[in-house]
Formats: sequence, C-alpha cells, structure tokens
Amino acid sequence: MGAAVGTESSGGRKSVNLELNIVPFIDVMSCLAAFLLITAVWVNIAEINIQPKGKNRDLTQVQQDDEHVTLSVLVQADRIWVGLSRVNEFQEIPKKGDQQDWEKFETTLKEHKASAFFADRSDIEVAGESTTQSPVTYQDVIHAMDVAVKVGFIDVGLTDPAGLAARPQM
Amino acid sequence: MPVTPAGPRLYHSIRFKQLVKHTGSSASSRASNVSMNLVPFVDMMTILVTFLLMVFAAEGQLLQAQKGLELPIAESRDTLQQAPVIIVTKTEITYQGQLVATTDSVLKDDSPTFKIDALYERLDAAAKKIKEDVGLGKMPKELAKACEDAKQNIRPQPGKICPDGLAILQADEATDVRLINKIVNTAKAAGFDNLLFAVKNK
Repeated sequence: MGAAVGTESSGGRKSVNLELNIVPFIDVMSCLAAFLLITAVWVNIAEINIQPKGKNRDLTQVQQDDEHVTLSVLVQADRIWVGLSRVNEFQEIPKKGDQQDWEKFETTLKEHKASAFFADRSDIEVAGESTTQSPVTYQDVIHAMDVAVKVGFIDVGLTDPAGLAARPQM
Repeated sequence: MPVTPAGPRLYHSIRFKQLVKHTGSSASSRASNVSMNLVPFVDMMTILVTFLLMVFAAEGQLLQAQKGLELPIAESRDTLQQAPVIIVTKTEITYQGQLVATTDSVLKDDSPTFKIDALYERLDAAAKKIKEDVGLGKMPKELAKACEDAKQNIRPQPGKICPDGLAILQADEATDVRLINKIVNTAKAAGFDNLLFAVKNK
C-alpha cells in the first residue's frame, strides 16, 4: 500500500501528515460489491415440510388400521376432491376457468377444520393424480398443500393417489 | 440541423475561480489539486459488502441455482435448512449435483417397484451415513436437541429439524406430479421420511 509523504514546508521541516492511498482499496471493494450484487439470489426461498405417507404400488391394499377419520385431498387436472375416510363423504371442487378454484378449496378445508373431527387435529393427506392426457403440475399440488398449511393442517402427508385413505370412486 | 455557437464551457465561460484561484507555477501560488473526501464512499461500500457477504452466508449454500428451474410459489415462510438436495429440472433429475436420470426416462418407466433405482442407491447410502453421523452426535447442539425431541414426538421448529431422514426437493413448478410421486416414494423407501419442498415466496 502506498503512502504519500507530505512535502517539505517552507521552514525546512517535514510535515507529519500522511495521506493514505485508498484508491486500490476502493477498487477492490467496488469489484467485490459488483460481483456479489450480480450473483446474489434475491428470491426469498422457503419450504413446505411434508411426510411421505400412504401406500405405494408395492402394496396391494390401503391400510385400514387407522381408526381416525382422515381428510384426503386428491388434485386432478380438472377438479379437486376433498374426502373423509370411514365416513366416505366427498366434495368435488371443479376447476374455475383456467385455474383450480382455490378459494372454494380453502373454504372447504376451513369448514372441515372447524368440524368436530379435526378441531384438535392438524393432519391431512394430499395426492396429485396425473396422466399423460390430463397432467397435474407440481405447482398445483404445492398450492393445495400451502392452502392446507394456511388453514391449520400443518402435518401434510403426500401420498400416491391409490394410497389415499378416502378416494372417490369414479 | 442548424449550426449554433457553442454554449458556456467550464473554465472559459464559468471560471470556477474558487477552485483555480491561483493557478500557475510560481513558488508562492497554492496548489490547484482538489482532493475529494472518499471516506463516506468507503464506508458505504464496506457496509454494502458486509451485507452481501452475510446474505450469502445465510442462504447461498442451501440451494444451487439451476438454469431453467422455476420453483413453485407458495405463501409459506418457513426457512430451509441444510440437507441433501434432490433437484428436478424440466429435463433431468440430479442428486447433490450429480445426474441421476432424465425426466422422460422416469416417466416412461412403468416398473412395478414404483421407485427410481439410481436415485434410491444414492439416497440409501446418504441416509445410512446421516444416520451414523446422528448416532455419533456429529451435528450442532440445536439439531441434536431436535433429534431428541423427535423421539418424543415433539414438533420441531422450522429450520431446526433433525437431519436424520431429512431431504430437500427442489423441483420445477411445471414438473408432472407422477415424477414427484416417484421421487417421494423413492426417498421414503431409502429412509427419508421428512421432505422439505423448496418454494418461492409470493
């Protein structure tokens, strides 16, 4: 690092003032700031915590040992089913325009959360049923899980469609 | 365009007398160099660099930026934590940066096991190593406490989940759910019972 030594004064005595050359320091800081600004990730990333549950194709039968009523959500390309196991009640929420009817879905989940079955429970299972002709995107399933967490079902389980405790018969 | 006379010019029309009061080379004249005070600028740069380095230290290591990968949007604001990352782009599935399979091949595969074998092998090895590390207590104190709490079925705080059986899924928003189901089943079979789906805040 360089330092500029002051010039001699008229009296012949050397000045004690030293001027530090900070230009290289500024250069380094400018480059570093520019690099960090360009490469920084400005998107806020969060997470939705899920537990894989239900059966998969390895199993032949849905587990029936659960005595609780389970709230099951099946996301299809053109509708969402909300069902209760054991009671076998299903509500169909058809698509509204290009998108799923998330408002009605949220209202439905709120109603279930307020019911006697789920007032003190927070578990729910979600599945997405996709085919080549009618694909369901990851965004739709994430949206369904996000709404469930928002309503109060914070223990979200993701399962295979065949593994849902309550599955509509079509 | 018509040619017009030049407008006022610095040091000609505008003299800046206060700056160049005594120009010249005589011994008695004052120096015409004016030094700018750079201290506030240096202060600002230092604060900016410190802030950016802190941002990197907080989030930079968790997820890798992938070309063409758009995370799904959600309202959840729970924070991510360090864990093995499975990345699903529009064309391929990678684990810890290594290519595992292409999305097309996985979607076409209709094997009865309903899992991705190449991914299973890697996840299985990783799960065993994590379990061993957790057993030996090779983790921060707060995570060790989270593991103790998990044994007693106490709900962990977001960002402080026991690393045993914990993985992050970073998938593109347009990914077919069949692919997600296969990956989740594979992870579950390998011992990852707790998955964090990386999402983008609204």
